[in-house]
Amino acid sequence: MSFLIQQTLLYAIPLMIVALAGVFSERSGVINLALEGIMIMGAFVGVVAVRSFQGMQFFIDAEVNGNWMTLQLVGLAVMLIAAVAGAVFSLLLSYSAINLRADQTIGGTALNLLAPAISLFLISLIAKQTTLNLEGGLNSADIFMLKRSTLGISPTEKLNFFTDTFVVKNYPATYICILVFIVMAVILYKTRFGLRVRSCGENPQAAASLGINVFKMRYAGVTISGALAGMGGFVYAMTTQNCSANGDVAGFGFLALAVMIFGNWKPLNIAFASLLFGLLKCVAVSFSTLDINGDGIFFLTTIPVSSYFYMMLPYLITLIVLSLTSKKSRAPKAEGIPYDKGMR
Amino acid sequence: MNNQKDDFVIEMLNITKVFPGIKANDNITLQLRRGEIHALLGENGAGKSTLMSVLFGMYQPEEGVIKKNGEVVRINNPNDATKLNIGMVHQHFKLVEVFTVLENIILGAETTKMGFLQKQEARKKVEALIDRYGLKVDLDAKVEDITVGMQQRTEILKMLYRDNEILIFDEPTAVLTPQEIDELMEIMRGFKREGKSILFITHKLNEIMAVADRVSVLRKGKYIGTVDVADTNKQELSNMMVGRPVQLQVVKEPAKPGDVVLDVQNLTIPSRLHHNNAVKNVSFQARKGEILCIAGIDGNGQSELVYGLTGLERPSSGKVLVGGEDITRASIHKRQDYLSHIPEDRHKHGLVLDFTLEQNMVLQRFREKQFEHAGFIRKNAVRSYAEKLIEKYDVRSGQGPTTIARSMSGGNQQKAIIAREIDRDKQLIIAVQPTRGLDVGAIEFIHSELVRERDEGKAILLISLELDEVMSLSDRILVLYEGEIVGEFDPKQITVQELGLYMAGAKRMDPSEMSVFKKEERKETKNGQ
Amino acid sequence: MDNKLSLLYRKDGTQKILSSLIAILLGMVFGSILIVIVGLTSSDIGGKGIIDGIKLVFLGLFSTGTKNGSLTFGFNPSLFGDMLFRATPLIMTGLSVAVSQKTGLFNIGAPGQYLMGTTASLMIALSIPTSSVPPVVVWLLAFLGGMLAGALWGAIPGLLKAFLNINEVLACIMTNWISAILTSWLFDVSRFSIFNGPATSAMGNPIVLNGSFKNLIESTKSGYVYMTSYNKVATAKLGLDKIFPGSQVNAGILVAIVLAVLVYIIIHKTTFGYQLKACGANRHAARYAGISDKRNIVFSMAIAGGLAGVGASLYWLSGNTEFAWQTYQSLPAVGFNGIPVALLAINNPIGVIFSGVFMAMLNIIGTRLKALTAYNEYITDVIIAAIVYLSAFALVIRMWLGGRKKKASMQKPAAPVSGTPKAEKSAKASDQTVSEEQKGGAQA
Repeated sequence: MSFLIQQTLLYAIPLMIVALAGVFSERSGVINLALEGIMIMGAFVGVVAVRSFQGMQFFIDAEVNGNWMTLQLVGLAVMLIAAVAGAVFSLLLSYSAINLRADQTIGGTALNLLAPAISLFLISLIAKQTTLNLEGGLNSADIFMLKRSTLGISPTEKLNFFTDTFVVKNYPATYICILVFIVMAVILYKTRFGLRVRSCGENPQAAASLGINVFKMRYAGVTISGALAGMGGFVYAMTTQNCSANGDVAGFGFLALAVMIFGNWKPLNIAFASLLFGLLKCVAVSFSTLDINGDGIFFLTTIPVSSYFYMMLPYLITLIVLSLTSKKSRAPKAEGIPYDKGMR
Repeated sequence: MNNQKDDFVIEMLNITKVFPGIKANDNITLQLRRGEIHALLGENGAGKSTLMSVLFGMYQPEEGVIKKNGEVVRINNPNDATKLNIGMVHQHFKLVEVFTVLENIILGAETTKMGFLQKQEARKKVEALIDRYGLKVDLDAKVEDITVGMQQRTEILKMLYRDNEILIFDEPTAVLTPQEIDELMEIMRGFKREGKSILFITHKLNEIMAVADRVSVLRKGKYIGTVDVADTNKQELSNMMVGRPVQLQVVKEPAKPGDVVLDVQNLTIPSRLHHNNAVKNVSFQARKGEILCIAGIDGNGQSELVYGLTGLERPSSGKVLVGGEDITRASIHKRQDYLSHIPEDRHKHGLVLDFTLEQNMVLQRFREKQFEHAGFIRKNAVRSYAEKLIEKYDVRSGQGPTTIARSMSGGNQQKAIIAREIDRDKQLIIAVQPTRGLDVGAIEFIHSELVRERDEGKAILLISLELDEVMSLSDRILVLYEGEIVGEFDPKQITVQELGLYMAGAKRMDPSEMSVFKKEERKETKNGQ
Repeated sequence: MDNKLSLLYRKDGTQKILSSLIAILLGMVFGSILIVIVGLTSSDIGGKGIIDGIKLVFLGLFSTGTKNGSLTFGFNPSLFGDMLFRATPLIMTGLSVAVSQKTGLFNIGAPGQYLMGTTASLMIALSIPTSSVPPVVVWLLAFLGGMLAGALWGAIPGLLKAFLNINEVLACIMTNWISAILTSWLFDVSRFSIFNGPATSAMGNPIVLNGSFKNLIESTKSGYVYMTSYNKVATAKLGLDKIFPGSQVNAGILVAIVLAVLVYIIIHKTTFGYQLKACGANRHAARYAGISDKRNIVFSMAIAGGLAGVGASLYWLSGNTEFAWQTYQSLPAVGFNGIPVALLAINNPIGVIFSGVFMAMLNIIGTRLKALTAYNEYITDVIIAAIVYLSAFALVIRMWLGGRKKKASMQKPAAPVSGTPKAEKSAKASDQTVSEEQKGGAQA
């Protein structure tokens, strides 16, 4: 059970944060189809950054001495770096969508093509293969995961459910993401900035008539979106891909878009929706090692369902969920419509 | 002009604003006295809204200066205008529908602490304003849930919240009932008493006579003149506005209604927006040779009724008969054999803007033998047909049949639609707001076409929000309120004021007085037997 | 002469082509800049490596190899032939995207449709014994099967869009991944029993297929499906191999060109095409005019899917290419590259032929870069992505090109009888503006 919850969180948290990234962009009026590409960029830059840290003396010392606080700070720093990378990359979308009023779907698609192309081009040059791993065969868990040893808990000690589930074998990055999620949701709903961003996604003409700079607000929305998605991309790579980058996040960014729509562009609903999808993704990836009730039997392998079916499940459920909710869903009114000053 | 007496709060001097290919404002001068209500009169497209947008900082003029209290000011954006205490109620409300009224009022002028919204402070200030001016509105309701009148009050509160002294009202009465218009006039007089100065944009002469002190007239982007309302009359103003004597009344013979063409029986149509039905159990008939008008305030089911008749929406119950044949379940394509439809929104429904004029002319008819051969379009036939229509209905465009519809003027786009629909020559013409946003010339043309079609024996169902049009064009009026028919009138025997009461739901005719219901009762008893 | 030139310049078509050429040029320049930057920061590339890289980006098609360590250029028939071979599926996926765009839909589902076409086509081609059915018939059946599978797969997002109003982009992406997994699944588990007898391979050796599509006779190739030539099914060459010796080219390219012309005729000359375009340009007006928007959306997506499926058939039925069936983690790039192909052609089916060939040329350039320099083939993906990005605002480029012309035509007022500035402005504004206004009106 603990394993199931941990695995679910691993997938749910990046999904949640990237879905919120989508919210910021769309609430400001720009459809961000590029979440996938931005995630790829964030993951790639993040892994490169971790590799750079690996070459630094203080990092090597910390690793040798088991100084996990330092290692976690590195993790945090890399999350920030990935966020910056995502934000910068998203400027390409902002520029085409806001300044040039180009088709946002095509612009987003361009970024989705550009991110894997650039990262694969560079990965191939750096690693002479299509996957960029950590230096020296190191695992992500070695650096970033909380383990019994790091916390000074003896391997034999019996742990209570909470510690077993939410502390040991967890990535603190997960909790940082949850914190960021809450903070950003509050900003969106309780601050002047949030109110103004949302007004630009609903009725930019109204916002402009009240002296709000729609361009600025949309840039802010997309840039925050890029930062969150970039961070989410790295967290995804760190927690589920063993901190490797291969120019692909397997449609995760698009799943996040679906989560956003399913969550009706509202943070609380998105949090729940991403848990559901996290669970599905978790089942898809690790169905063969899932021991749900702790009896040592991998339940899902005992029923005659093909593994391919589980792999398909997240995408299939997405389609079904979208079919069921499409009538009720309510997108920001002005999303996807370029704002033109001269237009009334 | 006596400069000593004139205390101008705002002066717009020699303003010229050019859009690509068009001079929207050509050397216009407008001077607003402190504490007056100054009307700005002109036709659709005369340049009124552009001039006000310049004053409000949304456009920058190519030439001319703006002065406030005698000093030259630069207004680069709405923020500058707000700082100068200029506020504006836009013709199309600038409201965020999913926000509450309070959020809409404070947006752009929020009180905050560390970036966080402080709504309580704002609420107190707004509530004080509501009390002071009697602008009743629920601050916590979402804008999408409140009436148009309340939305307008929200807009007015936005101005007052920003302590504006110069208030611009852009066509504020277009969406209101006569009673609501009276209330608005009273509110405006209240502002005047408080010393605020008001610019009132309109093309309706009655309202100017009722409330304004002075009036400036624009025509085709040019300044015509400014007169005291006390020294003028409606005919003179109308001549100034249009540039020639205008027939204020449509010329037509009394109607000679013949057989029933359209027979609507107990029609109910669900709404897309809310759970209620948009049209509730409506029955009426339209006859050959009459113009039957459905009047009402926007959003009372007119659009849905038309959708139900033309097939764009499925009725949940009831029947629609045209020429005795039941078309309730017929496809849109099939219905085109029975009726012509001049749609409410020429850009959304009426035209494919990126198609050429000729392609638009055969929008419904491209499958007919004369235009199609073995799946291929007969290009030459389409061309000559389009040329014929263009000639007959005087549709003007840059490159004739091959003009892209988007590049045509609104009036000519509408003419093209009218030409297409009338030429299809069906027994029933449904015309929805056929003259919206057009100038007098185009309006006169369309009115006379509709009257001619009536005289040729067509049944015409007119849906209009313009009461002037309703009163002058129709032979019979039905009032639709919240999806129900609440009155049936002869336009010669009812006043606009009276009609307004029905449109607002304040009065309701007894069903037995309406012919539409008498027939229904007969039918019911027949069915009962 | 000058007059004629400027007339040509002002033509809409000329400007469309120009804007695409500018996008291509800027994309390649961007790729070159990347090559320079990477070359300067990397120790093992050096100045000559950089120059070689840039040379290949622009002239890779004419690369004939190296001599004494430096690149040589000239006409290389095998590269040309390979380019045409690779262009075949690109033209088809490009047509797929272009057709959907005509109906106002963005078919990002071409990869999935292509995969379904691949699966159906290969399975049919391999499971009907050519000992009893003529290979030509099997080829034809496999071709049609691929088309049908693609069409059905394309129809799914079409149906979801038409009846449930689900964004077709999201639906396409989900069906893409589903098809990737489904393809692996089908090839992993399916067995066929008809084709169990001895057969001869393309090389003429007698072989026994063991009832699986997976290539189990060549020890290292179980990750691949048999080439269709094992069943003697292969697209005719029609002498093209004589013109381009040493290449994979076959008559598939001719089929693709014929289909492109056919699509052009359907879109521009028939009432069916008129309906598709009407739905694309203004769905509401189409409905008003009695054109079933839902039916046309489904048709358009099904046709788009069918075209992508044909692309797969033409590619895999060549008989000389092996399909790696473990697709569950990856989608075929040729599907996504249909997007730049269509964008560069501004959705013109005839233009798609040229942009498809161009994309294939980039592809070839990638392989030359990888073979002859320290760079790798992904640089061409970067160029393609840059081109897509630039195409997103091709309209802006076009307006910039035609700036003079637009102003001129506007100053010549189009009969301003009742033309009001306001109405004219809103007429020029986009459809969306209009519905915005409409919303204003409805709330008002």
